[in-house]
Amino acid sequence: MTQPYSGLRILDLTGIAGAYGTRLFASLGAEVIKLEATGGSPVRQLAPFLENAPDRERSLWWTYLAMGTKSVVLDPISQRDSLQTLIESCDVIFDDQLPEASKLSEFSISPKTIRVSVTPFGLSGSKRSWKSSDLVAWAASGVLYTTGFLDRPPVAPGGPSQLILHATALNAIAGAQIALRMRKQTGLGQNVDISMQEVGLSLAPETGLPMLLDDRVHRARTGNRRDLGRPFGLYPCSDGYVSIVVLMPMHWEAMAKWIHEETDNDTILEDVFRDPSVRTETKDLLDTWTEELTINKSRLELFEEGQSRGIPITPVNTISALANDRHLAASGYWETVELPTGASARIPGAPFRTNQNWWITARSPFLGEHTNEFIQ
Amino acid sequence: MENSSDASSPLAGLRVFELGIAIAAPNCGQKLASYGADVFKVESLGNLDVVRLLGSAWAKDDPEMSRILSDTSPYLPEMNAGKYSVGIDLKNEEGLKVALRLLAQCDVFLSNISAAAVVRLGLDYEAVKQINPNIIYTQLPGFGSDPELPYYHSLAWGPNQSPLVGLDSLTGFAEDPPAGVATTAPPDYMSSLHALVAILAGLEHRDKTGRGVHVDLSQFEATISLLGPFLLDLDVNGREQTRIGNASIWGAPQGVYPSCEPERWIAITADDADSWQALQELASPWLDSDLFLSERDRVENAQTLDQALSDWTSKFSSDDLAARLQSAGVAAHIVATNEDILNDNHVVNSDFYKVAPSTRLGRDLFTGSAIRLSEAPSRVRNAAPSLGEDTREVLTKFVDIGPEEFEELLAAESIFEMAEPDLTFKRPWDDWIHILIPGSEDARDLT
Repeated sequence: MTQPYSGLRILDLTGIAGAYGTRLFASLGAEVIKLEATGGSPVRQLAPFLENAPDRERSLWWTYLAMGTKSVVLDPISQRDSLQTLIESCDVIFDDQLPEASKLSEFSISPKTIRVSVTPFGLSGSKRSWKSSDLVAWAASGVLYTTGFLDRPPVAPGGPSQLILHATALNAIAGAQIALRMRKQTGLGQNVDISMQEVGLSLAPETGLPMLLDDRVHRARTGNRRDLGRPFGLYPCSDGYVSIVVLMPMHWEAMAKWIHEETDNDTILEDVFRDPSVRTETKDLLDTWTEELTINKSRLELFEEGQSRGIPITPVNTISALANDRHLAASGYWETVELPTGASARIPGAPFRTNQNWWITARSPFLGEHTNEFIQ
Repeated sequence: MENSSDASSPLAGLRVFELGIAIAAPNCGQKLASYGADVFKVESLGNLDVVRLLGSAWAKDDPEMSRILSDTSPYLPEMNAGKYSVGIDLKNEEGLKVALRLLAQCDVFLSNISAAAVVRLGLDYEAVKQINPNIIYTQLPGFGSDPELPYYHSLAWGPNQSPLVGLDSLTGFAEDPPAGVATTAPPDYMSSLHALVAILAGLEHRDKTGRGVHVDLSQFEATISLLGPFLLDLDVNGREQTRIGNASIWGAPQGVYPSCEPERWIAITADDADSWQALQELASPWLDSDLFLSERDRVENAQTLDQALSDWTSKFSSDDLAARLQSAGVAAHIVATNEDILNDNHVVNSDFYKVAPSTRLGRDLFTGSAIRLSEAPSRVRNAAPSLGEDTREVLTKFVDIGPEEFEELLAAESIFEMAEPDLTFKRPWDDWIHILIPGSEDARDLT
C-alpha cells in the first residue's frame, strides 16, 4: 500500500514540541527514526507511566507520541560513521536545539535535507536562547493573562495537556510538508524555524494585537462566562458543568421557553430580554435563572434536551466522559495499541479520516530496538 | 493585479476553493495562500462569514462607512489575508453551476460549514467528485460527515467545542469551577492545522497515485487526538487527569507567581533538577529548606514551595525577574498582556506581524504565520479581500466565463461584485501600524 509519505526518511531529535508532528508523519507512511541517547529520549522520563511503574519503556507520553517510529541509539564518537551515513540519508530532520547546540553540529548534512527547528523563541532575536515550557509559552503569547477568573491568578489553557507544544509540532510538520513541496521544484532542502511563542500568538489572533489596535480595550480575565450575551459560558449542573452559547435570537427564544417551562419563570419571557445587551446588563439575574434550570439536570440530559430544542448547549466533558462518549464509540474513533508489556490499550485513532486508507497504527519502539538496522 | 505566485512560492499554482466560516477552514486557507496558493474564498450575501461582522466600532456610526462595514473588520485579515473573494449565490441554481465550474479548475476543496449544509448546497464529496474526480476534498465540520452518527445534527458553536473536547474542564485550579478557555478557540486552530497537514499529504498522494482524496475531519475527534496520554492513563491505570491549575505533572515548582506590582505576574517552570538548582541559587536563601531537597520533596511540598517562591517573586518587578531567571537558565516569562507584546522587542523586530495592500483601506495589518521557511518567506497579495472583490477576475481568468455571460450572471444575481469599489478609507489607527511593524511608516507604497 502507498501512503502519502512512504519512502521518506525523517530523523527526530525533539521532545514533546516535535513528537506529535513526527507521529503524524509516521502514521502517514514515513520512516521516522528517533535518535536517542543511551539513557533514552527525555519523553521516556515523563509521567504517567504504565501501571505507575517509572521505567523508560513505560511513559504513556512515549507510548502515544512515538507510535510507529524507530528507536536508534548510536554513539557519536565510536559509531560516528554509521551516524554520519544515517544523518546524510534523511529527507527531514526535526531538532529542538539552536544550531550551535545541536547534536548534529559536528556532522555534515545533505543540502537536500530539510531541517526543522522547534525552539522556545525561534532561531533569531534577543530571546533566542531563552527557555520555555507549555506554561511559559502561553505566558509569552498573551493567552495566559486572559484565561481564568479575575480574582484568581491567570491559569494555563488546557492545563497540563501541553497544547502549545502539540500546536508547535503541528506547525513543524506542516512546515516540513511545504518545504518538501518546494524541494520537488528546486531539489534542495531548507530551514524551517518554528518558535513556540509565535505558535502561541498565532493561536489567538481574535484577541491579539490587531484587535487591541482596533478597539484599544485592555483584555482581562473574564472567568468562564463572556459578556457577549447571556446565557454564555459554563453553568453548573447535577454532575458537572454544561456550556451554553446563546447569541442568536432563535437560540434565546428556545432557551427562555425552556427555563419558563421547567422553573415557572414568567418574567424571562418578557420582550426586554430579547436584546442581548439587556441580558448582559442583567447577567447576574439571567445566570441565576439559567442555573435554576441546569442545576437539577445532568450534563447529558441538558445536552440532549437542549439540542433537541435547538439550543447550542454541550457538556463540559471530562477525560472519563470522553472515554464513554457515545458519538466516539459509534464513529469507530478508538484504536488499539500494543503496550510494552504485550498487553493492549485503547487510544484515540486517526485525527482525520480519508477514503484512501492512509493511516497506519503501530506501537512505539523499545529503546534502541532498531539500532542494528543502521550500524554499518 | 499582481500575482503572488513565483518560483519561491512552494504552493504556486495550487488552486483552493474555500467555503469557510470564522476560523477553522479560513485559517487553513490563509496558510495555503501564504505559501503561494490561489485561494478562492467563495462568499454569499445571504450567509456572510461572521468575521466580516465583528469589530470596527469606529466605522459603525459613519453612514458612508456602514455600507462597507463587512470589508473593514480587523478580524477579516487575521483569517483571510492573501485570498480572492468570489461572490456567488450558492442557493441560486445558476450560481451553483458557476461554483461547480470553478471547482472543476481547483485542486482543493476546503470547508468547515456543517456537513448537512454542504449536502443541502449540493457540494458534498460525491457531487464534487463527479465534476472533479482528483480533487483533494477536505471538510472539517464539528462532528464529521457521517449522518448516521449521534452528534451529526448537534449545534456546536466555536465556544462549545473547547468544553466538548475536554479542554475546559482541564483549565483552572482544582478547588475552583472550570475556568475554561474563554478568549481563544483551540479546537478551531487545532482542526485548521490538522487540515493543513491533510491537504499537503493529499498533494503527495495525488502525485503518487494520480487520485484525489476525501478528507473527513471531525473537529471533535481531531482535537481529542491531542489528549492521548490522558486517555491512555485512564484506560491502563484507571486514573483520571483533572485540572491542577498551573502545576506541572512532572515536578515542582511550576506556576504563575505575583510580582511587586498588582496584576503583574510571572510564569516559572523549574520542574527538573537543573533548573531547580539554578532557581534555588538565584533565590537563596528564600528556597533553602529541607522540605525541598529532592524532586519528590518538592512535589509533596508543592504548596509550601509555591508560597515560598511567591514570597520571593513578589519583591521584584516581573520584567526584571524574567530576564534574571532566564539568564540563570530557568524557563520564565512575564504573563504578557497584549500591551506587553506590543512593547516586546523580540516580537516587534521579528517580522511576525505583517502589513499588506488593501483595496478598501490602502493597507492593513495581520498576524503572520508561525511557519518560517528560510527559502520561502510567507507573503500574500493583499491583506484581505473586500466582499466580492475578485469575482470578475477569478471567473474570467480561472473559469472560461466571457464578459457577456458574466454580465448576465450579475444581472440574475447569481454572482455579485464588490460594492462601492471607489469607497476607500484609512483606518483611524493606520498611523500606529509602525508600532507593531517597524519601518512601515515609510511603506505606504507596498507594491
